[in-house]
Formats: sequence, structure tokens, C-alpha cells
Amino acid sequence: MTRNLCALALAALALAGIAAASTSGTPGVSSTTITLGSSGPLTGEAAAAAGVLRGAEGYFKYVNARGGVNGRKIDFKYLDDGYDPSRTVQNVRQLIQQDNVFALFSVVGTNGNLAIRDFANASGVPTVFSASGATTFGKEYAKYPWTIGYLPPYAEEGQLYAKHILATNAKKAKIAVLYQSDDYGKDVLAGFRKGLGAKARSLIVQTVGYDPTASDVQSQVAQLKASGANTFCIFAFGKFAIQSFVYANKLGWKPQIYVNDVASASSIMLLNPQSTAEGAISILWGKDPATPKFKKDAGTALGAKIVKKYIPGGNPSDGFLIAGMAEAFSMVDALKAAGKNLTRKGLMNAVTHMNEANNPFLVPGVKVHTTPTFRFPIASAQLQRWHNRHWEPFGGVQSAKL
Amino acid sequence: MRPKQVAFGLGVLVLVVLPFVLSDFRTVQLATVGAYFIAILGLDVLTGHSGQISLGHGAFMAVGGYTTAILMANHGVRDLVTIPIAAAVAGGIGLVAGVPALRLSGLYLALATFGIAVVLPTILKKFDHFTGGSTGITLFGKPTQTGHGVGVWGLTNNQWLYVLTWTIGCALFLFAWWLLDSRFGRSLRAVRDSELAAAASGVNRAKYKVLAFGVSAAFAGVAGALFAINVAYTSPDTFPITLSLYLLVGAVVGFFGSIWGAALGALLIQFLPDIVGLIPHVDPKQGGPTTFFFGLVLVVLMLALPLVLRVASRVANRGYLGAR
Repeated sequence: MTRNLCALALAALALAGIAAASTSGTPGVSSTTITLGSSGPLTGEAAAAAGVLRGAEGYFKYVNARGGVNGRKIDFKYLDDGYDPSRTVQNVRQLIQQDNVFALFSVVGTNGNLAIRDFANASGVPTVFSASGATTFGKEYAKYPWTIGYLPPYAEEGQLYAKHILATNAKKAKIAVLYQSDDYGKDVLAGFRKGLGAKARSLIVQTVGYDPTASDVQSQVAQLKASGANTFCIFAFGKFAIQSFVYANKLGWKPQIYVNDVASASSIMLLNPQSTAEGAISILWGKDPATPKFKKDAGTALGAKIVKKYIPGGNPSDGFLIAGMAEAFSMVDALKAAGKNLTRKGLMNAVTHMNEANNPFLVPGVKVHTTPTFRFPIASAQLQRWHNRHWEPFGGVQSAKL
Repeated sequence: MRPKQVAFGLGVLVLVVLPFVLSDFRTVQLATVGAYFIAILGLDVLTGHSGQISLGHGAFMAVGGYTTAILMANHGVRDLVTIPIAAAVAGGIGLVAGVPALRLSGLYLALATFGIAVVLPTILKKFDHFTGGSTGITLFGKPTQTGHGVGVWGLTNNQWLYVLTWTIGCALFLFAWWLLDSRFGRSLRAVRDSELAAAASGVNRAKYKVLAFGVSAAFAGVAGALFAINVAYTSPDTFPITLSLYLLVGAVVGFFGSIWGAALGALLIQFLPDIVGLIPHVDPKQGGPTTFFFGLVLVVLMLALPLVLRVASRVANRGYLGAR
């Protein structure tokens, strides 16, 4: 009996192996489908960021319902890595070797993307529009030709805040910075320093890093307040950003706050004590559905429609979903441009020749523009100020030198 | 031939056949299972035979994994050479950890080892110039990688990792088997069952308990080294506290700390999340249900398995398999 079962199991596994091996031509592309793969934190502390994947999935379904791309439907398969880069590596190995994906799309997280970069490039699999703003993904294209990011580079974001401080309070600013001590946090801080230029030494009175596995940042915030600063830069993620507002409020500290993009979704800002959050400044590139200015916008309406129809349980005012749709819109554009005879090389050619001004999910004026030697799809952003429980964009769309 | 020898022979046969019938990707998954297998063997020596509970074996794996990763990435040491070094470093730390463990038992020891597993990832992040911090260390494509991620001897890279892991796994299994059948193993069990009686019979209680910790940690060190080599990447989050918990669960599920069940426990750790995804109406893309079912399956297994095994052993004792 056991022997029979074993034989049966072995036969089944062998069949599964044959079935998986019988794709031909470009992996992940058949006459009717294009298979894309991804990995992100569907569970764990960073799970909110997985909204990017759900938003993209929703947009792909919307496109599929309208005939797909060049007659092919997009099959988007994403796996959970709990924000653990070694699981990202294993997921990507599965996606490439087992699921035969055509390309990796919007893999979430800086560390995860760093961990898979060597393997994906050695395998010659496009790793396109990664959900990370680490500057390295746009800069090191000579070494990693198959990799390209999407979000505004963190270094640029830092520069935009620096520019604003220099323009508004260059004489009296005393700046305190809280940053996550990993590649992402250090990247924003480096850009910020670069933006302040020669003034960085005199204006920044203190910088304090925190470990992303720490439980809270109370002592760091207290330390920063004690420095006598009147400007507080929060280059932090998730709960740490919220804690920064909460502790500043508890300590009775009322600085001008700059909070980075990854922690500035309206849904998160509403959790902060409003007396402290009032007047905070951040950047904006995707349309935040909760911003009054975009409430009646066509892109926001399309986003809400997609959420309602294709993303069960999704919150239409979740900025992560819209960001995912923006990425998916650009991906569909690239797949269209890569043509009917779809190859991996053709896709890379398309994503490095983007010229997209009509992405409905991006702030007007923010364009997706790349060349083979300029690989920052979104290299511009607008500043916004938190006022009366919502963001108000101000100034024009601007960019910085990278 | 004794039944155990037959079982071992069959096990090896299955291991040899598997890569021929499985896809390349499943092969590398089984290589990861091999790493868990070795860690669980170590835990079997410690918990199953010396009666000391460790909730910190993920930490010893981390020590092994980081020893390998740092040597490979920064010191130009070939991956194969780092494995015994990882065993020695982890084993050494295990011996040191075994000394305070002498004063603790049961729940207190479990908590102390749990503490090690909680603290270690933070320590790894603290010394980021040495460990790469939370960005971790990538080993893929490093010249010290055997086969450079492409493969050797006509094997694919995944098959090579499988062969490497399970060759070492089988060797360590034989070693554990021999060790536990020797005077060392008998002394451990004597200490486990009654420290007083063991001492009265002239067994040096302290020596054997500390040695068990060292041997067990060395196994975990090898497991961590192989894990790092297999994934070709390591970061502090690679060895979370949950890994330590899963290892202990794996050891318990594998016939309550018998080395003969280690493979079962290892398979469970690797494939349970996949199996959960097969349950109808459970969307593996939603985090909640997956985590819930993982917990549920573990609870059910822990409750049901003793029963199944008791029945099985009763059948076996009736001479069906000629056991004993």
C-alpha cells in the first residue's frame, strides 16, 4: 500500500516537472498570456506596503478585461516575503525557476531588491519598476542592466527638503534628523546633506539613526529635541514615523516637520497627533485620493472604480493602491511598446525609453521619462503641506540633480 | 539487517532518486530542507536526549550562517571550507552557552535560550560594518562560491546544492546515530531521565550537559552555513525568532526528539506554508488566514501526532516491522 502510494506520488511529481518544462520561446510569454512575478510583505509589520502589489494587480485585471496587452492577458503572481530579504531571494528563485515568469515587476523593499539583484541579473530576468527609491537602482545600470526602480530616488527627495529649507529658513533653521539606519534612511540623509551643500555643517545640529527592528524611537526623539532644533526631519518608515509625531507631541516640541514620502500617506498622517502634524511638509508624486484637490480627478475616479471592481476589501483612499496602479500603468505602456514579439531584451529596451506624460495616477506634471543612461522613471515631485487633516500641494513640480 | 539500517538505506535511496524526478526548483527547496534537517538533528541531541530545551537554535544557525557569509564575502574563503569553521564557531559558542544553562532547567532554560534568539538579530544589525547590517550579505556570484551559481560536474547549481547539503546531512545523521548509541548517548539519556541517578552511577552531569549543548550548536552552525550557501544571501531577518520556534516544533513533530523523525520535521517547516495555500477559500495573498492556518495545523499536528505514533509503535511492537 505504502509502496503504491509512493509510486503514485513520484509519478505525479514527474508529471508536474514535465508540465512545468514544456514552455518554449521566451519564458513566461504564451500566445495568450504574459506572466509577471513579484514579492513583497503581504504579512508582518510592513504589510501596508503590499498595497502596491494589490493596486497593480487590480489595474492589470482592469486591462485584461479590456483585451489585455497586444492580445495577451497579464498574469500577475506575487508571493509573501514578510519583508525578509532572504525570503525575497527564495521567492524570486521560485518565480524564475519554477513559475517561469517573463519578468519581475514591482518587487517591494530596498533590502529585498538589493538581495535579488545579482541573481536576477545573472539569470537575465528583467527586474522592472521595483518599489524602492534607493538611488543605486537607477545609478548602477552598467553592472546591473536588468534592474530599474520606479519611485522618486530617495537622494532626490532629501535634496527637495533641503532646497525648501534653504529657500524659507536658511538663517534660523536648526535641523534635527531622525533616520532609519539602513540603505534607505542613509540614502535620504545623504541627499539631504548634499542639498544643503556647504550649509549642512552649520544647519544640522543633530542626526540620530534607529534600528529598523527597534521597538520604538522615544529616546531618539527626546535626544533630538534636546539639541534645541526647530526643524525636525523624519526619514523614518511605518510605526517609527508615527511614533516620531507622537513623542514630539508628548514632549511639547513644536518644530517645522519634514516627513519622507514612505510615511506620508494620508491614512498614516491621520493617525498622528494633529497639533504636531499640522504644517508638516512632504513630497508628492502619485495622486493621493484623500487630497481634496484630486477628489474629483479622473485618475482618482478610475482608481476608485478599479478598487471597487477588482480589489475586494481595498480602501479607495489608500495611497499605496494608487501607487501600484501608477506602476502598473507604466508597465502596460512598456509592454505595449515592446511589441507583439515580446522578448526580455525588448522589454528592457522599452523601459529605458519611456516617455509617458499621461499616467492618470501621477500628479499633473510628473512624467515617466527614462533613457538607457538615465534610469529614474520618476525623477520629479511636488511639495505638499499638511493642513487641517489633509495634504495641500504647493509650488510646482520640481526635480533635483542626481 | 536491522530495521533501522533498512530504513536508513531506503532513505538514502529516496534522496538519490528525488533529483531525477523533481524539477530543478523543488531540488533546491529540498536542499533547504536538508539544512533544517541538520539543525533538527542537533536539537534532537540536545532536547530529545539530554532533556534540555532550546528555543534559540535559530541563533546558532545565524552564527554559522554569518561565519560562512563573512568568510566568503570578505576574506576569500571557499564556501566548502567555511562549513567546518562555522561548525567550530557555533559549537564553541554553544559550549559557552551550555555553562550557564547548567543552572537553569525546563521553562527557565527555554526562556534564556529564547532570549539569545531574540537578541541576536539586533546584535547583527548593531555591528553593521562587520555583518552588513540589515542589508545583509549577498553571496551570489562571489568567486568563493563553488560553481559561481552556475553549477559543477554537469549538475545545475540547484542540484549541486542538493548533493552538498544532503551528503553532509547523511554524514551528520550517521554521526548522530553513532554518538547517541555510544556511551555518550547513554550518559545523556541517564542525565535526562534522572540527574541524581546518573550522578550516582558516576556520570559527570555537568560535562555531558555542556557537551550536548556544544554538539547541538555545532550541528546548527553547519545548518546555518548550508542555509547561507543555498540561499546565497544572509541577513539578520534570515534567522528570526520564529525559525527557532519552528525548529523546536519540527523536532517534536519528528517523533519527539528522535533523530529518525528529523526529516519529517524539516519537511514540515519548508512545505507547511505551501500546503496551507492549497486549502480552498484561503487566499495565500492575504496574510491573516495563512498565519492562522499555520498555527492551526501546528496545534492539530501536536495533538494528533502522539496518538498516531502511539498506535504505530504498538503495531510495531507486535512485531509487524520486527522492531526492537
